[in-house]
Amino acid sequence: MRPRAYLKPWIFGLAAGTLFVLAEAVLPIYPPSAYAFCLSCHVRDLVDNIVNAIASTRFQTTEVGGRALLLTSPGLLIGAFLAARAHRETKPRRATRALAFALAGAAMMIMGIVIFGCPTRLALRAGYGDVYGIAGLLGLFAGITVTTLVSRRRAARGATKGEAR
Amino acid sequence: MSGPAGGALLSLAFLAIGLAVGYMAQRSRMCFVAGLRDWILVRDAELLLGLFAFVATVWLLCSVLGTLGLIHHGMPEFAAAPGGPRAASSGALPAAAGIFNRLFFTTLGGGFLMGALSVAVGGCVLRQHVLFAQGDGNAGFYLLGFYAAVPVFYLALSRLFAWVYG
Repeated sequence: MRPRAYLKPWIFGLAAGTLFVLAEAVLPIYPPSAYAFCLSCHVRDLVDNIVNAIASTRFQTTEVGGRALLLTSPGLLIGAFLAARAHRETKPRRATRALAFALAGAAMMIMGIVIFGCPTRLALRAGYGDVYGIAGLLGLFAGITVTTLVSRRRAARGATKGEAR
Repeated sequence: MSGPAGGALLSLAFLAIGLAVGYMAQRSRMCFVAGLRDWILVRDAELLLGLFAFVATVWLLCSVLGTLGLIHHGMPEFAAAPGGPRAASSGALPAAAGIFNRLFFTTLGGGFLMGALSVAVGGCVLRQHVLFAQGDGNAGFYLLGFYAAVPVFYLALSRLFAWVYG
């Protein structure tokens, strides 16, 4: 059963898409293009700025990242926490696969830095008509399809083995 | 919006975007990866519809606002700094390089790995943020790795970047 005050994902898509494009239209958040939202790139710029300030390094940031602190990721955490608290959906759960998840997070960031985007920004760039954004989104779809089919086959095989026993 | 005050206002704008998206993402359980996964597994198209609605909205608004000169296509990711790394762009490579170049295949492959990895951990980066905000310990370690990888990349793996964009 869907929880009360559930927001339809298509409304999220509509609202977030409008917010990101209008943000670029009214705010000086360029260059780069399509930069109103990205968790990989914004976190990279934020961490780079912090490390540069502490350790006097010269890690490269985008032009926007040089002018402002990209607090999107902390803002997202606060927003999601407030929503979860308001609707009593906070469920503290202990980590069961800490190392695997930490490595997965690190790998996602490294790929995000190389191809300029998390899945959300790849979709945003695809909407902008950026060929590389479309390529990234197609790659994303292929990765999801292959992994889902492989895990479904594995699960089916496991179930068959279990029945045989 | 120039100078320190402009920078502070812009920082607050990004914080506000994050807050709004975080709130909506928690209420909608939106995930940019789970949509296709759910459709393949159980033919549930609800999250996939969210992704399509997002891309269609961006495309439509970009087309309209682009004609008014309010959208800035093809701007470089990094400006070339004297003595620093070369300019790198996600959408404005020299025409001679064509479309099917090293960056194209790297982006395709990177997207593939992102999709595979996100299915393995049960959600995209946006969803992991929401799960951590709801108290999920695994998602907390995911974000720890996500943040910690930035200096690690610049200290140990920046040659990879130079290979793609060099």
